Amino acid sequence: MKEGFDTTNCFTVHGKLALPYSYFAGRVGSKFLTTIRDEKKIMGIKCNKCNKVFVPPRQTCDVCLEDIRDNWVDVQNTGEVTNFTVVRYDDKHLPRKAPYVLAMVKLDGADTSLVHVVEGIDVEKAKVGMKVEAVFAEETTSTILDIDHFKPA
Amino acid sequence: MSEKYGVKVEELFNTMEDRFRPEGAEGVDASFGYDITGRGKWKLTVKDGSMKLEETDDLSGCVAVTKADPDTFVGVNIGEIDGTAAFTSGKISVDGDVSALGSTFKLFKRFSPPKKELTVGEYILDMFGTLEARFQPRAAEGLDITIGYDISGDDGGQWTATIKDGKCTVTEGLVASPSLTMGVKAKDWVDLMLGKVDAASLLSTGRAKVGGDMNLAMKLAELFAKYTPPGEEEEQELLVLKRIISVGQRFATGPVMGKYLNGLKEKKIYANRCPECNRLQVPPREACALCRVRCEEFVEVGPKGNLRLLDTAYYASPDPLTGETRETPYGLCYILLDGCKGQEVFAHFMRDDQLDRVEMGWNEKKGTILRPVWAENRTGKVSDIKYFEIDE
Repeated sequence: MKEGFDTTNCFTVHGKLALPYSYFAGRVGSKFLTTIRDEKKIMGIKCNKCNKVFVPPRQTCDVCLEDIRDNWVDVQNTGEVTNFTVVRYDDKHLPRKAPYVLAMVKLDGADTSLVHVVEGIDVEKAKVGMKVEAVFAEETTSTILDIDHFKPA
Repeated sequence: MSEKYGVKVEELFNTMEDRFRPEGAEGVDASFGYDITGRGKWKLTVKDGSMKLEETDDLSGCVAVTKADPDTFVGVNIGEIDGTAAFTSGKISVDGDVSALGSTFKLFKRFSPPKKELTVGEYILDMFGTLEARFQPRAAEGLDITIGYDISGDDGGQWTATIKDGKCTVTEGLVASPSLTMGVKAKDWVDLMLGKVDAASLLSTGRAKVGGDMNLAMKLAELFAKYTPPGEEEEQELLVLKRIISVGQRFATGPVMGKYLNGLKEKKIYANRCPECNRLQVPPREACALCRVRCEEFVEVGPKGNLRLLDTAYYASPDPLTGETRETPYGLCYILLDGCKGQEVFAHFMRDDQLDRVEMGWNEKKGTILRPVWAENRTGKVSDIKYFEIDE
């Protein structure tokens, strides 16, 4: 800020924005989440035409647009970090206290990545290509956080 | 007496103990009241991970008392009615601490109505009623046959399935000399279809008789899909996530917007002047939006002005500071405050009941003259001016 700047009139206005929000997971998303919750199992959907397994699952293949909603396949609870970021700020809606690793995890048997938290590693040591394994939540909430986090495998 | 959804209010309360989830009760130490119109009052006390329910007229000491009519209460509990919608429409009301009530949602597993076992007669009707729908055309290629079902006993009846050209028609009664006939008691037929007995044991004990083409009898299982009783088709659980997103906001005014907002506290409207093009900006900005130079000269304008343009808004976007949505329609007015000229208009709200009484202007002299209506307590917000009204 410029030296000698007149701040007499400066002040801060506080507000609190409350937005009602409703998210429908859909049939495919619901099955994905309830299977994680009830069976501690991660499932994907395979496009038989493109030979591609989507995790999180999709109703239509994003390559050939085929309806693939019934082609459920199991994938492993282990996988590899394909990309990551370190979240370094705190906010109420965030799943962890900063700093934490938010990674894209490609599970073994899947062709796409799932975004989740990686714990049990120094944030400075996170690497693309590291092997991780899902840790399921004890108390479930019917959300993606029924996978509590991924830990180094 | 019977509820719209086939579930009694009492059933919900009677099953509360079974549906109770101790893990959902962690940290809850309170009593909740339920006042169901015409059915009675219940008091639920939750403490140390356990619960107690009593039917009582004394709901004192409850942090929240939920009042609803039986249909609404049942509907919300079995998921037929959206709870939030019932609450906002007033079908459910809450006396006391509404937010405390939120903790009760985690206390119980959802109520699922007990399944009613069908009678033999109901099964028979359902089995033959669904026979056409269960027909598998692919297995019937080239077939031109009739199958007679002779079901004996009080709950029995006679049906004929005619299969031809890949289609199946079921009619009541038996036709003369069908390709295949089956004679069996109603109870045995139901057990057979539900998989409780197998065909071989029925035949060997003489409880079932088959006449006609035996090869066809072997093929029956392929011709019709397996019978599933009504309501037993697996229903998928569908997830909806409902949240109220709360975002804390801080807006730092800076010196220029601060000067303007502080001015509102004293019922003054400040503009600032561009040193290069000489135009006024209201509200003032750090720099002239056209010349990109700092504007440091403040000028008091207004408070009255003439209306240049009125927008009537029929769709209200949420207030960015609170998320609340205002009543529609409302008027957004662009006013040329005294001391301003040309396009130096100031935007604010117009008094609701005067929307149709104003005239828009196209130069400094035309347009209805408006004056600001100031809020009683002014804290340095845009809303320190409540709205503008006709100066009369």
